[in-house]
Amino acid sequence: MTPSLDDLDHMDDAGFRLAVRGWVQAHYPPELRDPPKRLHWRENKPWYMALSEQGWIAPGWPRELGGMGLSAARQLLMMEEFERHGAARTNDHGIVMLGPLLIRYGTAAQKERFLPRILSGEDIWCQGYSEPNAGSDLASLATSAVREGDEWVLTGQKTWTTLANDANWIFVLARTDRAAKKQEGISFFLVPMDAPGITVRPIINLDMHDEFCEVFFDGVRIPADHLVGEVNQGWTMAKALLGFERVMIGSPKQSAYALARLRTLAQHMDVWDDAAFQDSYVRLRLDLLDHTSLYETYVEVLRRGEMLGADVSMLKLHQSDLLQRITDTMLEIAGGNAGLLEPMGGNRELNPAGLFIQARPVTIYGGSNEIQRNILAKAVLALPG
Amino acid sequence: MTPETQENIRMLRDSVAAVVPPGGGLQRVRRLRFGMPGFDRGVWRQMAEMGWTGLRVPEAAGGAGLGMVEACALVEALAGGLVPEPLAACMAVAPLLPGDVLGRVLEGHAVVVPAWQERADAVEPGADTVARGGRVTGLKLFVPMAAGADLFLVAVQDGAVLVEVGAAGVAVECAGTQDGGHVGTVRLDGAACRDAGPGMQAALDDAALLTAAALLGVMERAFAMTLEFMRTRTQFGRAIGSFQALQHRAADLQVQVALTRASVESAAAALDAGAHGPARQAAVSRAKARAAEAGMHVTREAIQLHGGVGYTDEYDVGLFLRRAMVLSNQFGSARLHRARFAATSLETDE
Repeated sequence: MTPSLDDLDHMDDAGFRLAVRGWVQAHYPPELRDPPKRLHWRENKPWYMALSEQGWIAPGWPRELGGMGLSAARQLLMMEEFERHGAARTNDHGIVMLGPLLIRYGTAAQKERFLPRILSGEDIWCQGYSEPNAGSDLASLATSAVREGDEWVLTGQKTWTTLANDANWIFVLARTDRAAKKQEGISFFLVPMDAPGITVRPIINLDMHDEFCEVFFDGVRIPADHLVGEVNQGWTMAKALLGFERVMIGSPKQSAYALARLRTLAQHMDVWDDAAFQDSYVRLRLDLLDHTSLYETYVEVLRRGEMLGADVSMLKLHQSDLLQRITDTMLEIAGGNAGLLEPMGGNRELNPAGLFIQARPVTIYGGSNEIQRNILAKAVLALPG
Repeated sequence: MTPETQENIRMLRDSVAAVVPPGGGLQRVRRLRFGMPGFDRGVWRQMAEMGWTGLRVPEAAGGAGLGMVEACALVEALAGGLVPEPLAACMAVAPLLPGDVLGRVLEGHAVVVPAWQERADAVEPGADTVARGGRVTGLKLFVPMAAGADLFLVAVQDGAVLVEVGAAGVAVECAGTQDGGHVGTVRLDGAACRDAGPGMQAALDDAALLTAAALLGVMERAFAMTLEFMRTRTQFGRAIGSFQALQHRAADLQVQVALTRASVESAAAALDAGAHGPARQAAVSRAKARAAEAGMHVTREAIQLHGGVGYTDEYDVGLFLRRAMVLSNQFGSARLHRARFAATSLETDE
């Protein structure tokens, strides 16, 4: 039986976890478990729609707006159960990024127009933040929006736009005041992907996958009411919502998955009983356990309903580093398999080269590890300079 | 190093321009990757005409009679251009080939590659392949560029035998590799073969050292690209190479490149000076262990320091990581070579 939101409210965390687990086991499309690559909308749509129909697509949104109204801590429990089952990420930028921003800063008309279409899967959003010359230094972005009568006119280029080739809408940070300090001249816009002047070019990555795209804006005209919040407040709004993303990105689940695959590989390669390997493996395992304990202290902060501090950067930093060390170890023991293009013998459980490649961008996206270290050094340790 | 050797190396480095365009353009490499056989027979003939396939073959046998120092320098320079032709593997086995086959290799009409491993990670001849009465039966894994080979030099219990690829009882199944090449699983079921004498272990050790030299070329080029990127990419209003944290990372990479060069060159010189037995193996293992680990480290860091563009297929630096993934464990991983060093160096003076 599928529990109602009311039922879920009356469960303790363990019961909640089991209820989610049972539901995902019953409703997740089996052929989509543990996908080797980020799935496109045409592939993950059945899962998105299953969540949508159940009313579980937006765990963090308030109930009156069609969400589950879960606490941050329960959202993480739910995400953990999805990951445990090997559930794919959906095209979730509308749910995770845009929705919360509209709920907090959007007009009543914007909420009414856009939120239901995200819940129903009618609108698939992508995020237009990074630019070729504004990566780590995002605030230096150059895409411009100029007011002309009742319209804004956007010109410029975005890049690393995840799954832009699936989306029918994009939310964009664009410069609206060149004279202001760089963080203070940026505004937040909603742009339909079929607007004249938009071109999407997929970028093939090292995993030979078109997960990222470039999006070009050549005099793209949008109505004035597609601005969210006040003019020049885009940076502040976008930044206010990064905290939860930093916890998600620091979840131990990716490393836990990789460590399990390392174990399978070591057994297959016959090095499992090797003393030197065991030392490397146990070191990684202890790193994972300690990471999990650290992660749980942040979950506890959320559970108390408190805001996260800048120190949450430690989670992303350590998780991504650990994931890369695990996949490095895979290549070290894989012999000739380390260079293969496809999983060994077609077995997705034995895919050292693929997992190694997929672990590369983790230290680059979502604020590179160099940026996370800057944040720790300056905002947490208060070092000078 | 004698002035004569230095001059040989200079000439070899210059001659590489025949197949690696100035500036290291990778259009040819990109065109050939993920195809079959993954390299160009015309370029192979060109390599032979320049004397590369017979570089280490004695002059009396029609070769150039040069040593491992020169061979490593050539392979390193070619690897910087990511050339896909299996020259290093063929150079390593050429000294074992009988006259008629050697003639075909020297003229560029044949490609011979070693088929040695029966486990995923190996630099010693697998012992389960048996040749008797001119027939050989066994299973060989990860044979480099097998689909483009004319003959396999197959390691057997007490030496090596030559097998024509098209002979009855030879089945080759290929799997693509990250760098756009491939490796073959070769099944031999009573295939006709001819004896190629002993010396397979030495050939595999030579191949391991040449692979270390190739890793050196790969990491040097990836590092040079990264330094250039750090000088020109600006963020926060300045070149990213001006940030001290990144400067320190680059300095550490330079140390690894220098250690690898020193290790490879010292091993090559030891081999040319006649090192044999455990001392020879220890020198090769030291170089390959270093090159495998440093090669992965430098190319991984090259991606990270490039940021997002480093993770795109269209930007060239990723091609160097992919090549390093293939080379680092070929002819033995760092783990294998460290273990072999420990086993062999006990018997040598330190």
